[in-house]
Amino acid sequence: MVVHRKHPIVMNVEEVTERAEPRAFSPHDDMPEEYRKAATRMIQFHANSEIMGAYLERPFIRQAPSLDRKLAFSAKVQDEIGHGQLLYRAAESLGIKTRAEMLDELAAGEGKFLNCFHYPMTEWWETPMIAFFVDGAAMRRQATIKRTSWEPYAHAMDKICFEEGFHIKHGEDIMRELAMGSRREQQLLQEAFEEWWPRILQFFGPTDDRSTHHDFSARVGLKTMSNDELRQAFLNAYLPKAEKYGLEIPDEPRIRKEDGRYIVAEDDLDWEEFWEVASNEYDGSHEQIGSRAATQEAVAWVRNAIDRSEQSQP
Amino acid sequence: MATNQQSDPDELTDRQQAAVETLLFSLADDEFVLAERYTEWQVRAPTLESDLALSNIAQDELGHARLWYDLLTEFDYTESELLFERDPADFTHAALVELPFADGDWADAIVRSYLYDTAEQLRLAALEDAAYTPIADRIGKIRSEEAYHREHAENWLERLCADPDGRANVQAATDRLFPHALALFEPVDAEHEATIREFGLRSESLADLRERWLSITVPLLDSLGVRPPVSADGSPPELPVAYGRGGEHTEQWPVLHAELTRTYRELDRTNTRTITNDPDHAR
Repeated sequence: MVVHRKHPIVMNVEEVTERAEPRAFSPHDDMPEEYRKAATRMIQFHANSEIMGAYLERPFIRQAPSLDRKLAFSAKVQDEIGHGQLLYRAAESLGIKTRAEMLDELAAGEGKFLNCFHYPMTEWWETPMIAFFVDGAAMRRQATIKRTSWEPYAHAMDKICFEEGFHIKHGEDIMRELAMGSRREQQLLQEAFEEWWPRILQFFGPTDDRSTHHDFSARVGLKTMSNDELRQAFLNAYLPKAEKYGLEIPDEPRIRKEDGRYIVAEDDLDWEEFWEVASNEYDGSHEQIGSRAATQEAVAWVRNAIDRSEQSQP
Repeated sequence: MATNQQSDPDELTDRQQAAVETLLFSLADDEFVLAERYTEWQVRAPTLESDLALSNIAQDELGHARLWYDLLTEFDYTESELLFERDPADFTHAALVELPFADGDWADAIVRSYLYDTAEQLRLAALEDAAYTPIADRIGKIRSEEAYHREHAENWLERLCADPDGRANVQAATDRLFPHALALFEPVDAEHEATIREFGLRSESLADLRERWLSITVPLLDSLGVRPPVSADGSPPELPVAYGRGGEHTEQWPVLHAELTRTYRELDRTNTRTITNDPDHAR
């Protein structure tokens, strides 16, 4: 009989690369620090993005123009917080950082998150840009993460993808209502689309030659598709949908189709702004991070009160 | 059980219908506006866990509001008329649920919920055999959810009051909110209130409900070291000048109403979109 024993020594990167496959590794395995750090960076980014996305969408619970929409938006914001909770737990399982440390980093402006959530969103007709396009883009990426090598991350994705499916349907329904609404509603939707479209394309990050972390993450099975492949899949699915709802695709960034593949003119996108956003240095970053930090500071007394009373228990 | 039960809105006398509508508006408006304030806590609560719990509660209250507004649509109101195009002065919720709160004042959320949900429990129990049966039919679902809300609020009260700073914040919230909570036991108007009792919609008078509410909330707060603002003989404080219900609202209410109708107005909407047709089977 073969007795499966916990690996006696820490795996090296070569071994990890060799064994990498979907859901191959869990907290039972002694992973090398390089893997644990890369996985933490990826999951923490994902968790932070859930929180900051919820932060951006919360005002639309109030502004929703019907009771059902209000309920759906409240449920969505709640789901995103729940996703953040699950993902921080998956990140903690790597033993690099605690959830409290990651939330502190987010409040301090050190935690990174998705580019689209650095921009302000103030009007109802902008909401499908996040709730349909950005969530749709995220869904492409998240579906591939079901096959990531860190099992707790893949496991979290099962629940998250299931719920995101409902969010995107709701986002599409809001867009359909606007697209079939008055001439003015259609115009406002088009304006919002033109403003958000370049950011949505940049959602997938730099094309492969500029990506800093891709090689290692791909080698150890954390990432299973490149940024470019994900963007192809997104454009294939979402360009026809945008056209279906009467949206005109902006002339820039130029996109052409060649041999069944979309080619985006990368120089038409503002990469300087993207990197400013990525390093939390954009004006919107300061605004979003700062106001999130302020709300967390305002409730610090509750956490302190609970800590003190728990410590004084016999 | 009331003997003159009625399930068909068309069979009500005008006076009965006016009383049913008055009752439904106060139930629906309380839940709707309370939820609107609760949703401000989403993404802002002290921990991810408390965020999720309060989001759940907010959605329950919105769901309850929808159940009550839905009964009003049987009297030929549209959702637009009920919410988005109604004059804010015509809303009949208690001002307790419309009051704003300071950033981070989690004690406000907890005390508000405790005072409200304790009243809600008593009010719903008294409607269980309502002569207009569509009301009675919806009580069970709502009561089961409200029981969780009360438990949530009581747990948090205990936790906050175990610490001197926490207790001081609970005391401040109690001082501010307690007089407003008394408005939950005020009639919208005396004539409709008389019909509500005679027709057999509510089995107890508002005064009796208020006495029972005081007999629960005052000892509980006392036991946590929080002094409720009642006099030595146990009599409650005066109602605030703007207490909502049949009286004036605070100046914060039209502001909140303007925010929540903003998109509807800016897009010149004339109707609302319903996603689920049957609120009894909604999420």
